Amino acid sequence: MKLIKGSARVLGEEINTDVHCSSKYLPGKDTAYIALHAFEQLAPGFAGAFNKGDVLVAGKNFGINSSREQAVHVMHRMGVAAIIAPSFGRQFFRNAINNGMPVIECDIDGITAGDAIEIDLIGGRVEVAARNIARAVPPLPAAVQALLAAGGLIPFLQQHPDWNLKGVAA
Amino acid sequence: MGHTIAEKILGNHAGGKPARAGEIVVADVDFSMIHDARAGNALKMIEKLGADSLPHVTRTALVLDHYSPPPNMEAANVHVAMRAFADKYGSPLYDVGDGICHQVLPEGGHLTCGDLVVGTDTHSTTYGAFNAFGTGVEGTDVSAVMMTGKLWFRVPETIRIELQGALQPGVWAKDVTLTMLGKLGAEGANYRALEYCGAGVAAMAIDDRMTLSNHAAELGAKAALLEADDKTIAWLKAHGAATPKPVKADADATYVQRIVIDTAKLPPQVARQHNIDDVVGVPEVVGQKIQVALIGTCTNGRLDDIRQAAAILKGRKLAKGVRMIVTPASRAIYLAAMREGLFEILTAAGASVEAAGCGTCVNITGHYIAGDDQVVISSANRNFKGRLGNPKSEIWIGSAATVAASALTGIITDARTVAGGDWRAAA
Repeated sequence: MKLIKGSARVLGEEINTDVHCSSKYLPGKDTAYIALHAFEQLAPGFAGAFNKGDVLVAGKNFGINSSREQAVHVMHRMGVAAIIAPSFGRQFFRNAINNGMPVIECDIDGITAGDAIEIDLIGGRVEVAARNIARAVPPLPAAVQALLAAGGLIPFLQQHPDWNLKGVAA
Repeated sequence: MGHTIAEKILGNHAGGKPARAGEIVVADVDFSMIHDARAGNALKMIEKLGADSLPHVTRTALVLDHYSPPPNMEAANVHVAMRAFADKYGSPLYDVGDGICHQVLPEGGHLTCGDLVVGTDTHSTTYGAFNAFGTGVEGTDVSAVMMTGKLWFRVPETIRIELQGALQPGVWAKDVTLTMLGKLGAEGANYRALEYCGAGVAAMAIDDRMTLSNHAAELGAKAALLEADDKTIAWLKAHGAATPKPVKADADATYVQRIVIDTAKLPPQVARQHNIDDVVGVPEVVGQKIQVALIGTCTNGRLDDIRQAAAILKGRKLAKGVRMIVTPASRAIYLAAMREGLFEILTAAGASVEAAGCGTCVNITGHYIAGDDQVVISSANRNFKGRLGNPKSEIWIGSAATVAASALTGIITDARTVAGGDWRAAA
């Protein structure tokens, strides 16, 4: 898996993706609609100004509560390249990996909107060169790398119905 | 170095050797569940994948509980699709009125000690009461299980919680889970497994133990595991479960945290409006007026909850201006409560009884929308603003005993202070 390079877009702590990034409370609205309005109540104009390839940087417990998978579909549509947060809601973390979205547990202190971020998932490193930030993060386990590389759990199983995680190109 | 229950169960299902916290394993799943609030997309996806066969689909229950009965065409059509899917592939199906997923899975004999069970619902931690590793997942996960019988798991670190003594009469497992929420905060056990142990657990009946494991979901826990004892084994046998393979933690297992609660002295607890971790002892808020009392949900809609409510309301009337709804967690509980005459007592007191299902937990059936400024006391699990359809109403959370005692008086009331509030099933 190549290095991920993108511009930081910053959100706060304890963000409930059911509320801010799914149709759970907007019945009948599809992923395309939500992608244009996600996180609007937290940061007006956030989705509108989001560019494909930007990195979402959030505070602790991103995606807490009964997180819907649709949130990850919405973020793919917004063009989110990866998400960095000190911690994630358990179900959101799982949904992200299952749907091919890189999630990195990392201290976000000092990272500011617009910073150029470089993420090395295999080596376990997050860098913001302009701010002299270079943080080691636990490298993603090979199994998770394999799922992300395939684009998520279902595409992975279509290629590897035997769940053979060994020898899968990361 | 020894292993926790979570490490052992996940390891047993992933090659046989105990796993270590932090490791990622691919494990054989014994049973899975998908309910009607999540089935729509997952069933479409799995049909689209066009797998030649779904060899594990007969170990995936489809449960029609959230929209029970369906409040709109969309929900009714999801039900139609679920019934057609179950017919086509042979999945067990629990229809409208049969009950809540977390109640019908154990009652249906679908899980036993040592099992690994997943469901599309955060409260799938309930199965931990039976010494099974139960955890909540999403539609993609259950689709993968239907196709391959396996799923990936990060083995969780475990928090060990010792309950030091039997609860007083009028105090229930819900008061313990609320205490934990007050202590750790909502999501305070995010990613972690819990192990509850000690004399307090041993003294609890199965219904109460299910509350203990169920309400761990609000702590963010991945699983909430109890060791099995004679009560567990007898209950599973009575419900036709497979032979139990009990799993115990090693004495030298590694825990990230150990917590001891003096349960013998614990007073009843409530979570105040909007935040499930804003927890105080009931004696501190006695006098708070309520207008709506709800007993039900996968957290506290079981037979002992209804028995306790009936013990308090027998021969009495709800306080003036209070409305009360009782929603049994399953058809089996509904039938048992009818046979015991509990519905006659509750109905005569002024309460209404609804068909089994998720009903009173969240405003998805539209069965109970509170009015502006109304205060609801509920035995459910969550109370965030607007959960019952009106952000101008308040939801307070307590045990079924606290709900019934409060319905009787019209103010939040300590069940220990009313007649019948000391009811407890003979162990």
